[in-house]
Order: sequence, then structure tokens, then C-alpha cells
Amino acid sequence: MRILMMVVACGLLLAACASESTDPADVVEGYLEAKVAGDSRAMQQLLCSPMEVDLQREAAAFTSVTDVSIEDMACTSTEGSDIVQCTGQIVANYGAEDTSFPLSSYRVVQEDGEWKWCGEAS
Amino acid sequence: MGIHYLLLSLLLLLGASSFEAPQTTAYQKIFVHRGPGHTFHDVASLNPGLPVNIIERNRVGNWVRVTRTTEDNTVVLDGWVMTGYLNYDGNFALSAIPVNEAVADAEPANAQYQSTADLYAVPVISQVSRAMEGVYRYGQALGRHSNVVTKVGDSVSANSLYLNPMNRSDYDLGPYDFLEDTIRFFGPSVATNSVASRIGMTTYVIFDPLWADKERCEPGETPLACEYRLNQPSIAMVMFGPNDVRHMTDAEFAEQMRQIVEISIEQGVIPVLSTFSVHPDDTLWWQSINFNLRLSEIAAEYEVPLINLWAAARVLPEYGLDEDDIHMANSGFPNLKFSTGHDAYYGTSLQNLLSIRMLDEIRRTLDLG
Repeated sequence: MRILMMVVACGLLLAACASESTDPADVVEGYLEAKVAGDSRAMQQLLCSPMEVDLQREAAAFTSVTDVSIEDMACTSTEGSDIVQCTGQIVANYGAEDTSFPLSSYRVVQEDGEWKWCGEAS
Repeated sequence: MGIHYLLLSLLLLLGASSFEAPQTTAYQKIFVHRGPGHTFHDVASLNPGLPVNIIERNRVGNWVRVTRTTEDNTVVLDGWVMTGYLNYDGNFALSAIPVNEAVADAEPANAQYQSTADLYAVPVISQVSRAMEGVYRYGQALGRHSNVVTKVGDSVSANSLYLNPMNRSDYDLGPYDFLEDTIRFFGPSVATNSVASRIGMTTYVIFDPLWADKERCEPGETPLACEYRLNQPSIAMVMFGPNDVRHMTDAEFAEQMRQIVEISIEQGVIPVLSTFSVHPDDTLWWQSINFNLRLSEIAAEYEVPLINLWAAARVLPEYGLDEDDIHMANSGFPNLKFSTGHDAYYGTSLQNLLSIRMLDEIRRTLDLG
């Protein structure tokens, strides 16, 4: 019985550790992919609380253009830093014209142990 | 009607010593309206080649009142036509034509629906309010440049043939001679493209740093904030709608536009709003009418200038629109050219004329130089 309880406790501890150790770079990449797709539900999961008021605007970022995709996205984070640096670009089409949006650096914050996207780094 | 013509004949005779009405002809058969707009009923048609006298013009200058008289000075025709329909032979300058300040730009009662009547009731060019004088003074205190105007908007304003040609020296104003000082004053400021005017831009993404020019804007800066910092304008020509109308409600649009207006005012920039043209066959016609009504309400609420492009463009072929029914039709000329009536045929030419006329109104009212 004691062994069983220890196994369960270790399992819970591992699960908790796993949920807190998400790479901030993955969060940023996930957020940008959701933004390009206009997936507000996925964006909401990854957006920091102060920016929740901007969710509608964020989700509508590419509604006026078509064929939106991300090219060569690569995001990296440094331990101890709240900045994630990304390279690559978002490309889109408007009528007969192509338009692009270079990726830059983004701020992340931890909320309840989860990394959240919190806008462009200034 | 007979008394009206008699009085007009007397006025023309009495006024002959102080103002000699220039004479010209129409270059195609046109309708003559009771007032300066197509909502006024037509009173006659005018065949090309028949000489008419230009006796007055509206505030904008894009409609003039013409008369035809017989040898014994009996008036046989009296009504309004678009300035662009008349042959410009180089000897009639609108600056010499008396301005009828009282005549309305439309007769809304003749509109088919209440909502379009409400929109027709909005002047083509608004007056400049005292509130905007305060905004301008505040902007000056912040270091904004009095002779800098910028563009904020989507592809309709990002069009390099919209306002940017003010920077060229080969402008051909035709009868609109009175706009020359305004073009010289603001022209150099539109030499560089605005980072707040871009294809696909909407009232949402004007606040999204992702849409800012990464080479010219600071990290995390929105396109609007970046443009106001970079060029320090005192006036912003704000035009949104053709993109937004496809993706948001008029209430959402109004909320976003209010933010743009409020931020502009807070930063000492006069925002000049504009309604947008739409084709009646467009499935978004009524939604567009609602968007335009919201724009006119916001302009009235904040006392900011408004150009009613929608109303003015109604008389143009295809409402001034290009084949895609979104963008304004270009004349094909890279320079401002009003001597051959482009403002009566091409949306971009009309948009330029009205915008420069609005800038002229601001420059004169605020005594900018």
C-alpha cells in the first residue's frame, strides 16, 4: 500500500513538472501559428492575461489577406530571459500583390507555471 | 420659374460690372441639375458645344452653376453641372468664380432610403471646427510639423497615386487654381510612404506591431504610433472601410475608429476621416452604408473633418471604382491632372481633389501659411 502511494505521488509530481517545463520558444511558435490561422481558441490558451483584451484584434490580424503562411520559422529562448527571438517571416497575398511580415523578438511571461506569449519585445 | 429667371437676369445685369462670368462648353451631352449634386433633379440637358456662363460654384469647386441667355439677356437655362464635364480652355479659374456657401451638396429627400438620405446629408467637405484648432495648437507644442500630412489606411490610401503626386512639380490643376498654395505647402511631406498605410491594413492591425515596418519602426511599436513618431504630422488622412467591411460589424469598426481618432487627437494630430465608395451591386452594400454612417457619426462626435467621398463619387462612372469594386479607378496619369475632367471620371482623381480641397480648408482656417 505504501509503495503504491509513493508511485502515485511520484507520478503526480512528474506530471506537474512536465506541465511547467514547456519551452517558451514552443509557446511563441504555437502562438504565431495560431495567429496566422486566426485560431482564437488556441491563441487564448497561449496569451498572457494583460493581453486578453487584445485577443479579437490579434485573431483578426490576417483576415484581409489570403494564402497566409509562415516561412522558415525558428525561435530560440535563453534560460533566465523572458525574450524569445524568432527568425523567418509570415507571407500573405492581397489581390495580385505579395506582402510579408518578418518575425522578430517576443516577450513571454510565466502564469501559473505556464509560459505565455505577451506581445512583441520592445 | 418665370420670376426666378427674371430676377436672375436682373442680377446678372447688375453684377456684370463687378464679375464677368466666364463662358465655356460641355464636351459631351450632360444633365443640368437643380443643385450641385446628382440627387437634385435634373432641369435640362446641355449639348456639347453650346456656350454657357459660369456664374458661381459650390464650396468644394467640383460643381458650378451655369446659365444660358439669349441675345436680349433672357435666361433660358440655369442649373448645376460637374466642373469636370466642362471644357477647360485655360481662361476660367475657379478662384475668380463666386462661391455659393449656402447651397447644400445634396437633396437627401430625393434619396430612395432613409439611410442613404442620412449619408447624402453629410457635406462632401466638412468645416474645420474650433476643436481642431486646439488639436493643432497642441500638436505644435509637441513639435509636430504644420506642413506635414500623412496617410493612415488600407490599399485605397496606400495607392501611390493618392496624395503622393502632390510632391511632383508637373501638376496640372486646370480650373482648380486656388489649390496651388495648398499643394506647395503640403506637397513635400508626402514624398515618403507612410508606414501606417499599407495593402491589407485594417482598423485592427493598425494597432498590431507585427504590421509595422521593421526597418523603420521600433520593436513593439504599432504602425500608427510609428508613423506619428517618424514623420511628426499635424494632419492624418484616415481611410478605412473597404477591407474592414468584409470581416467585422459596424459596431466593431466604430470602436476601432474611435481608438484611431482618440489617439490622434491625444497626440496633436488632426485626423481627417473619409467615407468610402461602394458599388450598389456589392453584396456588402448595406453593410458599407452602415460603416459610412458610423464614420460620419464619429466625425460629428469628435468634431473632426470628414470627406464624404461616397456621396461625391456616386455620380462617377462605376462610382469611381476599379474593376474589383474595392479600389478607386486610376486615370493612368502619374501627376495631378484636373484640366481634362479626370475628377468627374476616375475615383482616385476625385479622391485627390477632395483630399487636397480638405487640406486647403484646414490650411486656410488654421492660417497655416
